[in-house]
Amino acid sequence: MVQRVIRLIVLLGAVLLAGCAARPSDMSAPMEMPPGDPLKGSAAESLWQMAVTAREQSNLAAAGRYLERALYMEPESSWLYRELAELRLREDDPQSAEVMIQRALRLAPPRPVYQAALWQLLATARMRQGDAPGAERARLEADMLGRRH
Amino acid sequence: MVMAESIAKREGDIYCRPMSSSRKSPVKKKAPARKAPARETMSAGIRWRRLIWQLALVGLVLGLLGLAWLDARVRQRFDNHQWQLPARVYARPVELYSGRELTAGNLDQLLSLLRYRADDSAGDPGSYARVSGGVLLHTRGFRDSDGGEPAQQIRLRMDGQRIGQLTDSSGKSLPVARLEPLQIGSIHPGHSEDRVLVKLEDVPPLLVHMLMATEDRSFHEHHGISIRGLLRAVFANLRAGELEQGGSTLTQQLVKNFWLTRDRTLSRKLIEIPMALLLELHYSKAQILETYLNEVYLGQDGGRAIHGMGLGAQFYFGRPLAELEPHQFAVLIGLLKGPSYYDPRRHPQRARQRRDTVLQAAAGQGLLDDKQLSYFRNKPLDIVPKGGSALYAFPHFIDLVRRQLARDYPAHILASEGLIIHSTLDVLAQLVAEQKLSEFLGPHKELNGAVVITAPDQGDVLALVGDKLPRSAGFNRALDAQRPIGSLAKPAVVLAALQQPEKFHLGTVVTDGPFEVRMEDGQIWQPKNFDNQSLGAMSVTDALAQSRNQAIARLGLDAGLSEVIRTFQKLGVQSRIPPYPSIFLGSLNLSPFETAVMYQTIATGGQRTPLRSITDVLDRHGQPLARYPVRPEQAFDPQQGYLLQWALRQAMTRGTGRYALAQLPEKLVVAGKTGTSDGQRDAWFAGFSGSHLVLVWLGRDDNGDTGFTGSSGPLRVWSSIMAALPQRPMRLAPPAGVEMVWLDADGLRRSSKGCEGAREYPLIVVSIPQQSSACGKVQSVPGGVKRWFKGLFD
Repeated sequence: MVQRVIRLIVLLGAVLLAGCAARPSDMSAPMEMPPGDPLKGSAAESLWQMAVTAREQSNLAAAGRYLERALYMEPESSWLYRELAELRLREDDPQSAEVMIQRALRLAPPRPVYQAALWQLLATARMRQGDAPGAERARLEADMLGRRH
Repeated sequence: MVMAESIAKREGDIYCRPMSSSRKSPVKKKAPARKAPARETMSAGIRWRRLIWQLALVGLVLGLLGLAWLDARVRQRFDNHQWQLPARVYARPVELYSGRELTAGNLDQLLSLLRYRADDSAGDPGSYARVSGGVLLHTRGFRDSDGGEPAQQIRLRMDGQRIGQLTDSSGKSLPVARLEPLQIGSIHPGHSEDRVLVKLEDVPPLLVHMLMATEDRSFHEHHGISIRGLLRAVFANLRAGELEQGGSTLTQQLVKNFWLTRDRTLSRKLIEIPMALLLELHYSKAQILETYLNEVYLGQDGGRAIHGMGLGAQFYFGRPLAELEPHQFAVLIGLLKGPSYYDPRRHPQRARQRRDTVLQAAAGQGLLDDKQLSYFRNKPLDIVPKGGSALYAFPHFIDLVRRQLARDYPAHILASEGLIIHSTLDVLAQLVAEQKLSEFLGPHKELNGAVVITAPDQGDVLALVGDKLPRSAGFNRALDAQRPIGSLAKPAVVLAALQQPEKFHLGTVVTDGPFEVRMEDGQIWQPKNFDNQSLGAMSVTDALAQSRNQAIARLGLDAGLSEVIRTFQKLGVQSRIPPYPSIFLGSLNLSPFETAVMYQTIATGGQRTPLRSITDVLDRHGQPLARYPVRPEQAFDPQQGYLLQWALRQAMTRGTGRYALAQLPEKLVVAGKTGTSDGQRDAWFAGFSGSHLVLVWLGRDDNGDTGFTGSSGPLRVWSSIMAALPQRPMRLAPPAGVEMVWLDADGLRRSSKGCEGAREYPLIVVSIPQQSSACGKVQSVPGGVKRWFKGLFD
């Protein structure tokens, strides 16, 4: 435990120094479906698009229903879990959002930018649950992945 | 007025004459004495007349007051009437999309359950046509929280066991469409009205015309009552020699149904007439007709009264009213005369005669020509057998829905508000589960069983069977049988150990040997293996895969009883867990459903997902009221969850579950666990793929010996169910923080492939031994920076 704390302090220092470096430009770019996600080109993609429209119209119930239907059709889609996580955050349910992000991470293609964005979302979900250390760990992971890119 | 004047004139005559005569002849004082009897008679008559007049006035006033009261009653009830509409429960709508696994047999099964009718053009909702390479469907459409689905014509091109292509009527590719959900039940208290509301514009005009031809031919002419209609009915009945037509108008019948009793008394008739007149005064013919069509009583289904043509169509023909044919309209109209007497299920002959009378009346009004009359009279009744309706098919699943709904909705709301409940039931999975359980238990009369099927990622209950006679609404074993879970408890013991990664991992060696524990009450607990053997040292993985009691009991004691209890609770067990070490081996009574909850968490790799049977609740107009979204919680670290799944995969490949391997596709990776309670009173199997968790329990209601172990009984049922469902394998890639490591036979040192006794296990990074055996090569992984970071985050 002590060892972990020391490691964390060292890492935090490293991150502070790294903060002087330029942030990768596409970290701030809007998140997009990563190439290779099985949702792309599938029948479920149309349901996801309908979910996006419903969400834009603040019809969160319909958006959730579309996404759940889409997940039955494409259960290996990391992107759909990410979308569901974002919806749960909007519904003020960060606990479920965290689980969805964990699933999204598990299925994520090896794209550091995308994975970094998932870790960032995880940090948000944890922070909303009052888990500041957990959020910080997720943020550090996001930053590391961002730099790797 | 004329009468009042003549009375005044006569009264003037009587009073004036004596007065003048008295003035002319004062001496004639005796005259009054002589004339007294006549005058007394006259004044008595006057008094009587006055009394009658006064009474008439009082009567008139009372009559007007009564009429005003009736008027208020009619308007109050009609304006404020709330139809009593029980909640309706629907199965999951079937998604259709290119690539979906769906056999032609499955599709036929669905169309049959939904009572689609074959039609060359599939021109109307609820019809289909077989076309080259596929099927042309005209779906019915429905409302859902995402807006629902329109009724539309679609073409499915089948490609082997899958849908190859989905297009609309113009040939344009459709990404996805849905078949409307099957209604599988309604939620209502013991005695209540049930109906499916229909709007007049949605009622087939022919039904309305046939109704009028039979019940009230001058409906559009009269003002509530019809003298002509009454006379015509009498004449028609005399001519027919039977009671062919009723004398009451539809308005009178509605008054009778709506406000009055069914007694045939004069007083009721006297009230019925003014009420009918008042009803017609205030409301249009269309309003009266629509209310009538929804109000009429058409039969009884146990405690449920069948009201209205909409539900009548579903109850007797299994189809929406709009899809019925004239001979079916005639059956419904015929029932109005006596729903019990003309019940087409109990008295088909009578019902048929009555139907033909209605058809004849319709022909008499020019609604059917001779050819049509002959054609429809030759049609069978086409009644759906009562047991054949999906409304009664899945009583145990409906039981679950009812219990879950009861948490959020009071009984009176469920009984009257017409809520639309979208459930998670997968009809095809349910039918498979029922069939496989019944097949296995067929030769074993004394045995019964239960099956629960869920979708691990969503936590949806896809099927629930609580009896080998699945249509029987009796004891729901899936929800209410509390039985010892036997070795199904063992994964909880292993998981409790894996939560202490510095101390235990899957390669940790435990001893399968005799030992005893002295309990607090002085009793001695001596766990034994099913085969009465002890196999000595073995890994935790083998202890679980081979279901070794002594080894798992030792592990449980080492991990800690309280840790094991806490693990059960984190897995989702809410029942009381007795604080005895015997729970390690399953001396813990749970229902099959609660056990499925526990395995659901295992199947998701540590995410506890409350099992749901409902996805959405809509109001009677199809507007969303409530969603029941998937709301999982992270109960265990993903790494621990993965390790347990891996160990349970070993149980399928080289442990007690290996029978299933030969029954399932080679590429289908599954995990699971057998369970057998003491004396083989209960036999269990719980296992899962990526898409389905299936739990099977077999037992006897008298708690006797089943004669089966988890392997020899439930595993057979489980395998046949899994083989019949479309499957997706489990995810094999380990999560971050887990590595595959070769360990020595003692599990204490790292080793290498090829070293004697070495085996490969997935280990959480902190569990990986620092030391290597002599044979094992010292590897750089997982060391250095990578290991350093992993240690930090894991």
